[in-house]
Amino acid sequence: MAFNYEKYLRVEKMPTLWCWGCGDGVILKSVIRAIDKLGWNMDDVCIVSGIGCSGRFSSYIDCNTVHTTHGRTVAYATGIKLANPDKHVIVVAGDGDGLAIGGNHTIHGCRRNIDLNFILINNFIYGLTNSQISPTTPQGMWCVSAKRGNIDPTFDACKLAEGSGASFIARESMIDPKKLEKIFVKGFQHRGFSFFDVLSNCHINLGRKNKMQSAIANLDWIDSITIPLKKWEALPEEEKMNKFPTGVLRQVEQDEYCDLYDKVIEVAQGKRKPLTQDDFKKKI
Amino acid sequence: MGISTFHTEKPAEDVPVWVNKNNCKACDICVSVCPAGVLAMVYDPTSVLGANISIQYPDDCIGCNECELCCPDFAIYVADKKEHKFAKLSDQAKQRQEAIVANNYMALDEGAK
Repeated sequence: MAFNYEKYLRVEKMPTLWCWGCGDGVILKSVIRAIDKLGWNMDDVCIVSGIGCSGRFSSYIDCNTVHTTHGRTVAYATGIKLANPDKHVIVVAGDGDGLAIGGNHTIHGCRRNIDLNFILINNFIYGLTNSQISPTTPQGMWCVSAKRGNIDPTFDACKLAEGSGASFIARESMIDPKKLEKIFVKGFQHRGFSFFDVLSNCHINLGRKNKMQSAIANLDWIDSITIPLKKWEALPEEEKMNKFPTGVLRQVEQDEYCDLYDKVIEVAQGKRKPLTQDDFKKKI
Repeated sequence: MGISTFHTEKPAEDVPVWVNKNNCKACDICVSVCPAGVLAMVYDPTSVLGANISIQYPDDCIGCNECELCCPDFAIYVADKKEHKFAKLSDQAKQRQEAIVANNYMALDEGAK
């Protein structure tokens, strides 16, 4: 018997509503396998998803799930985590959901370093609403909302997370599900905000309009723009900006928000003195 | 419970790889990642994209599990390495894989797409 997916899926919702070859299904599978590897009880896991193709994620996995409003995934998840600090909260958002509409929530989730696992499914486009440019759409690509070519510069989601203060940052593409699973296992175990930038394909709404008609052509393009971190470091400066490094980009120990919040509760209960700067690892 | 098309059971004992054709959407990804030319697409008029997955040469499966992991629709399953003795990768299998990719992921006896 192969891996038992039925244990983790709402099988009555299958098959998925995603297009053929959509990376979301591979990421769903990798998340399930990572949860299985960690041996988590599904009653202790909460999946929070926003709006977009990635929003369907919470419909298929059989645990506590919340399908929230557009871009507010981290806001909902912060509340869930603070109310249930011993549960595992996984947030799934698309690039439009997590970086454009919910960009504000994402950076403040990173800043607080609350113990959430934030999976950013980055397919370089607003796929569900049929091809509008998102913050990660590469310049020069043709989209419905940029019919003469996209001129908006893109930004690097991992650098945004690093600048905001997330303590675990990793990037991986869905081409290699084995690596993806390993990175999920590593990040899920990390205490603090784990930010995963998972590059995915949308050959329907990005690929078809940019000479990548099939899923495989789109995956080949993703393969051509990613490079393992060690090889990326050895590249000359001018080539570095055209490639995305993959792997664990940052892993540090920082104060976790739920721990700090517990201290605040203790202060309120009169069990300890009010907090001072000495209670924090980072002073300024 | 609604009507489910999802099933993962083995169709018979001692098969290395099996598929759930109800879930396959014919995206070709599994065919492209197979190193041994085990899988290929065949024409299927009842499928949305006009093709569906088929297992052409199960005896050549090396059990690398890539097709199962890369399938976005939970349609393909590979037996556990403890339960089934898989074949070694042969040159003939490698050449067949190249031919299938060149044939636009269609089975060789199905003609060009």
